[in-house]
Amino acid sequence: MRYSVIIFSLILLLGFRNEARAQQKKVVVKGTVIDKTEKRPLPGVMVWGGKPAVVLAQTDAKGNFSVSVDPDGELSFSFLGYKRITRKIEGATIINIIMVEEVNALKEITKIGYAIKTKEVSTGSSVVITAKEIQDAPVANVMDLIQGKVAGLNIQNNNGTPGMRGSANIRGVSNVNVTGSGFLTPTSPLFVVDGFPTDDNSNYSYGFDQASPGLSPISLIPVEDIQSIEILKDAQATSLYGSRGAYGVILITTKRGNSKIPIIKYTGAFTFSQPPPLRKVIGGKGERLMRIDEIMQNDTNYYHGLNTVNSTPFLSDSLNAFYNNATNWQAQYYRSTFNQDHNVEMSGGESKFNYKVNAGYYDQKGIVQNTDFRRYTLIMNTLYQPNDRFKLAAAVNNQLAYNSTGGGNSITQGGVGTTGASSSLLPAPSLFTASNGLLNTLDIQNENKTVNITTNLDIDFLIVKGLRVTNSFSFNYLTMGNEKFKPEALINDVSGLKPADIYQIYNYFDRKNTLYDRTGLAYDKSINSKHNFRVNIFSEINSTNYRADVIQQSSTPNDQIKGPLGYDWYNSSGGTLNSLTDLKTASLAGSFSYNYKQIYVLDLSYRIDGSSTNGPDAGYSKNPSIGLRWNFNKENFMQSLNWLDYSSFRFSYGKNIVPTGSVYDVYGRYTAGTNYNQDPTVQLDYGTIPNTGLTPTTTTQYDGGFDAGFLNGKFSVTFDAYYKQVDNLLRQKDIATINAFQKVSTNEMSLVNYGYELTLTARPLPTDSKLSWQISVNGAFNKDIMAHLPDNASQLLVVDPSTGQNILYRLGRNSLTNVLLNTKGVYSTNSSVPVDPMTGLRYRTGGLSYTYFKQGDPSWTDVNGDYILDQNDFVAAGNSQPLITGGFSSSMQYGPFSLNISGSFTAVRDILNNDLASRFQSFANPTNQSGLVPLTAYNYWKASGSNATYPNPYDYTRASQTSPFRYDQTLFQEDGSYLKINQVTFSYNFKKQVIKRWGISSARIYCTAYNVHTFSNYSGANPESVTDLGKDISGGYPNPRNYTLGLQVQF
Amino acid sequence: MKYKYNLKAFSILLTGLALLISATGCLKNLPQDRESIGTDTRFTQTVYAPVLGRNTLFSNNFFVGSSSQPLTFAIINMRNRDGSPAPELTETFPIQVWTQPYLGDEKSIAEIEAKRKVENHPLFEIREHSGQFLMWSAAQSSFVKTQPDSGYVFDVEMSNSGGRRYFRDFRLMPLKERSFEPSTLNAITGLSQHTGLSSSDVGNINGAKTNKILDGNDIEVQFHKVGAGNSLTFKFVDSLYNPIDPSSFNLTKWDKLVHGFDMVKTNESVKYTVAYPVPLIAYKTAYTNAVGDKAHVLFSYDRQGYGNIRQVSSLSLDFAIFEKGDWEITFWFKNESPKFAND
Repeated sequence: MRYSVIIFSLILLLGFRNEARAQQKKVVVKGTVIDKTEKRPLPGVMVWGGKPAVVLAQTDAKGNFSVSVDPDGELSFSFLGYKRITRKIEGATIINIIMVEEVNALKEITKIGYAIKTKEVSTGSSVVITAKEIQDAPVANVMDLIQGKVAGLNIQNNNGTPGMRGSANIRGVSNVNVTGSGFLTPTSPLFVVDGFPTDDNSNYSYGFDQASPGLSPISLIPVEDIQSIEILKDAQATSLYGSRGAYGVILITTKRGNSKIPIIKYTGAFTFSQPPPLRKVIGGKGERLMRIDEIMQNDTNYYHGLNTVNSTPFLSDSLNAFYNNATNWQAQYYRSTFNQDHNVEMSGGESKFNYKVNAGYYDQKGIVQNTDFRRYTLIMNTLYQPNDRFKLAAAVNNQLAYNSTGGGNSITQGGVGTTGASSSLLPAPSLFTASNGLLNTLDIQNENKTVNITTNLDIDFLIVKGLRVTNSFSFNYLTMGNEKFKPEALINDVSGLKPADIYQIYNYFDRKNTLYDRTGLAYDKSINSKHNFRVNIFSEINSTNYRADVIQQSSTPNDQIKGPLGYDWYNSSGGTLNSLTDLKTASLAGSFSYNYKQIYVLDLSYRIDGSSTNGPDAGYSKNPSIGLRWNFNKENFMQSLNWLDYSSFRFSYGKNIVPTGSVYDVYGRYTAGTNYNQDPTVQLDYGTIPNTGLTPTTTTQYDGGFDAGFLNGKFSVTFDAYYKQVDNLLRQKDIATINAFQKVSTNEMSLVNYGYELTLTARPLPTDSKLSWQISVNGAFNKDIMAHLPDNASQLLVVDPSTGQNILYRLGRNSLTNVLLNTKGVYSTNSSVPVDPMTGLRYRTGGLSYTYFKQGDPSWTDVNGDYILDQNDFVAAGNSQPLITGGFSSSMQYGPFSLNISGSFTAVRDILNNDLASRFQSFANPTNQSGLVPLTAYNYWKASGSNATYPNPYDYTRASQTSPFRYDQTLFQEDGSYLKINQVTFSYNFKKQVIKRWGISSARIYCTAYNVHTFSNYSGANPESVTDLGKDISGGYPNPRNYTLGLQVQF
Repeated sequence: MKYKYNLKAFSILLTGLALLISATGCLKNLPQDRESIGTDTRFTQTVYAPVLGRNTLFSNNFFVGSSSQPLTFAIINMRNRDGSPAPELTETFPIQVWTQPYLGDEKSIAEIEAKRKVENHPLFEIREHSGQFLMWSAAQSSFVKTQPDSGYVFDVEMSNSGGRRYFRDFRLMPLKERSFEPSTLNAITGLSQHTGLSSSDVGNINGAKTNKILDGNDIEVQFHKVGAGNSLTFKFVDSLYNPIDPSSFNLTKWDKLVHGFDMVKTNESVKYTVAYPVPLIAYKTAYTNAVGDKAHVLFSYDRQGYGNIRQVSSLSLDFAIFEKGDWEITFWFKNESPKFAND
């Protein structure tokens, strides 16, 4: 690692001395190249001349060029992403060029399968996002910005914790295993950063059930350094990433140097983050009176009620200073913050040699106290190509991040959910009146450190014409540490109890080494430039080892001395966690591409994958793929259609895998046992029985697509229909108790996603208009269906013990179905409660001691008609996965001003409003010191005959039996459709004449409002801030609204 | 050439169609969304022996297992043991059903009767979605086979959108009516084994003759149906069947004794107009025992006992009467009368 830095630096030094000299010809032509829309000079534009055309020069940082050419020749100007412009010289000595962006989507460059080609000849379904589309927003993780930009990529930014990302799924859910309360086993796509796969699923995503800081490695990449992002959706596009590509692949390409004269570019932004509106609470005297009133009105009799009030000091002792407050607990937790982001990029060079150094600093303070994220990055890459035969590219990425999740974890803030809902009568925290829950959030010392170091080396050598050998090597070292100290002040909470997990040091440290190597041989052949062949064979080796150690010490001497040992040796422990992994995968892949005049395109690929988590009986997995494309606008008979830019049909079929499970699921596990004859023993772990037939999860996908562009780039359309089948999903199942073992991991579940994706882009204004406007809308319809369950069962119930909101897997149905009581309404009168015609008894609760329903109670459907509310009355209702997702963007430019608006939407999705349910539930115990919210906004039952939506919240004596506000009912299931304005950016490019005097070649200021507004009928806080299973839990970390003022300067 | 152009355009259309069809054609093989019929689903009780003349609900007789609810049940092939059909159990009869809940606070017979109505039902039914069995009180041993006859055999069909299953050879072996409980009748033969019953509780009652504390063996409770009306009469008689004045039980709350109306109290008896059965439903009210399945009557008096202390004496009975009629409950102090006089 250290040596590669030195070598890299040497290369860098050599680079500065390397100058290309222009050849001497007859006439010197000078000029400037300017971008049409942004009116700024374009550095690095290739200037072609001569016959045959060769690159004569590149424009410098100010867009200027100077070449010597034949006076009667031609000059061509080309730049990636822009239309090529050719001018006759005809004796002119100054030629100024205005370059226009290429709007033909077929000329976009894709990098599918480690090979660069235009979309015109790629048969897979993919979408490219350029740096321009993701700039100007103050987020740590670039995935937040792709939301709504790609049809079929469903991103829900449901986690506002700094440095964390939300959920991302390409073409529907790929896994239905539930972890925790309401989260799915993450199946985010495989990220390939500059050609090297980065796993974002195993140890980072959500950081939910493990101790690590939980940062996503994608959060460590500064958004400013990203050149483009390409989302590969179908199996053909992802086929060559087979060993882990089953959930889709996202390629991230960072910037490269591209200017003969070094460029220094600074981007700085200041952001104001604002917490979302807090929920209204009843404070002080109002709360006390409300509680007393509730008790007196609803207790079994007057004197019992009086006794209840009098025996509850915080209600009766209103003169006690401890109980005579009006504390807004939520305000203690939330804050508005100022954040900053600075990024300096130094780059230069041309096609023979280029380099880039990007240094970044990003600081985000969370809107929940004591949470933050800081990132320091130094990213360097260089490319050296002394001649056409040899190319060497190297990169070193150093990323360092600190974050704190305060008293919560990377996804939830439980303290905010519980203590934030404390009674307002309790005193605000001070030195003497400690609220344990709040101090837990504020005073806990949590510092997590994540270090990610990646070195890449690419070598490319042309052996003979058309035959190229490549080798890509990468080593990644990722370490995360988590230090947590709970100070002494937290020992005694209000109740005087001493929770066991308090006043302790917790130290977590993990490290992960990944070695990746790819060696390939590619052969290109073109016959008469009609028949174009490409054959590519490569092998891939990946080795990952991971180990995490934890030490925990209890009862340290005081708040200052945090070690070395606590006196409570019994509760102090440490060791290596059982998440130890050593994963090895090896693959051999071959692909064959053929096209005829770029009209008919055929792609074939075949890949063999082996993984150390494959069972020995399962063998290698074999993944074929086929892709076909017909660019029928190039057929002769279509030539007369001038209005058609391009049009093509695509079809693809392919298989992909992703390794699941661990080596322990395959081979079992030995653990250290107890001593026998004073000798330590080793024994078998009887938890999971080995399954030597374990296979990776396999995705089989069919995709049909249509692309077309009309009227010279004015309109374009892309449509895809797909069928995606996920087989061999891993699931643990219980086995019969006669076995020594308890569980077995098998690959027996299957599910199917199918759907349609549509993207429309329009540039409605004429090209010569001063105002340029581009609008784009995309949408995806995805339906998922459960196709197979373990043991050929036709349904399976996944029990959620905490909320009772169980999930049903049933064949032929959407894969994650909520199972709830169907709330028909509220019994307005006693006579509306149904009566058993035989027994004459009213509808009642189940169990041994039961309660009869009465007016004001919820009316639930009695599914089995036995006049008893019990487990038999649950119905399958609601789908937590969205049916329709998409987004829109509009980009307008007028002179130096530009206005960009982007948004996203989600429709037909069911959300469980657990937050609202728990607010109502807090009325069930008026003597509990929890917060009360005003109910005036809700139509609840007040008196006999009132037609209400919500049951009577005040009938607290019966609430424990009837549970009128239980979570598992359709009353709290709401439509979670929303439309969100993600980002509004207004920017201004300074006039060149103004900034020239400071030596600045371009400058731009912008202001951005991010996470602007969400339009929704949902009654809760935010329909997006819900778990994967659509549960709006009160402990979730809300997404802030951000206002940013930023500056971009280029020297 | 014109023709050729059309052919090519047609081929584009065809390709597009082929892509669409291949994309949707995959969906044909997906499983249908059908409810589950589990193999572990079963009835945990297959022999049903209801007592005729009263409503009987058989609950907790079904294990749903992995089947999806709601399930639909139907009794099929109701037959005699020899296989011949049993129309008496499949034809409908007028049945009294509740439409409003009986709460025990009704002020008149009419108010109670307004809460029930008559519907036609088969005598033996299965609840459509829960699998509970119902035997209605209109079933009489005069036309329904009762034990010791081996009774009836029937099958149950269970279905939902996922399919159907049959559970075979359930047995229905009704027992003869026992019009009141606790009963003096033998469950199988229906013959009386005793002339009367013991009371539920006797407390602090001294005998007038011997001054010894009376117990259950000294008091026999007799149930007599004397007419077809709807009344309930309590009588107290001494060993010679001479009436004892009910007023002697001076602490008795006569107006709250049973959920009856139009009390007629003479020095021989207390008579109420009541709605049958008694109690009306198995629901705890002021007139029932703690469980609610029996009416609870308490007769009590006080007297000055030995040593000039106040002695409270009581006599209670928990009972149920299922058959409508003019019923008399006689407390026969068969050995000696209670001592009401002060010591």
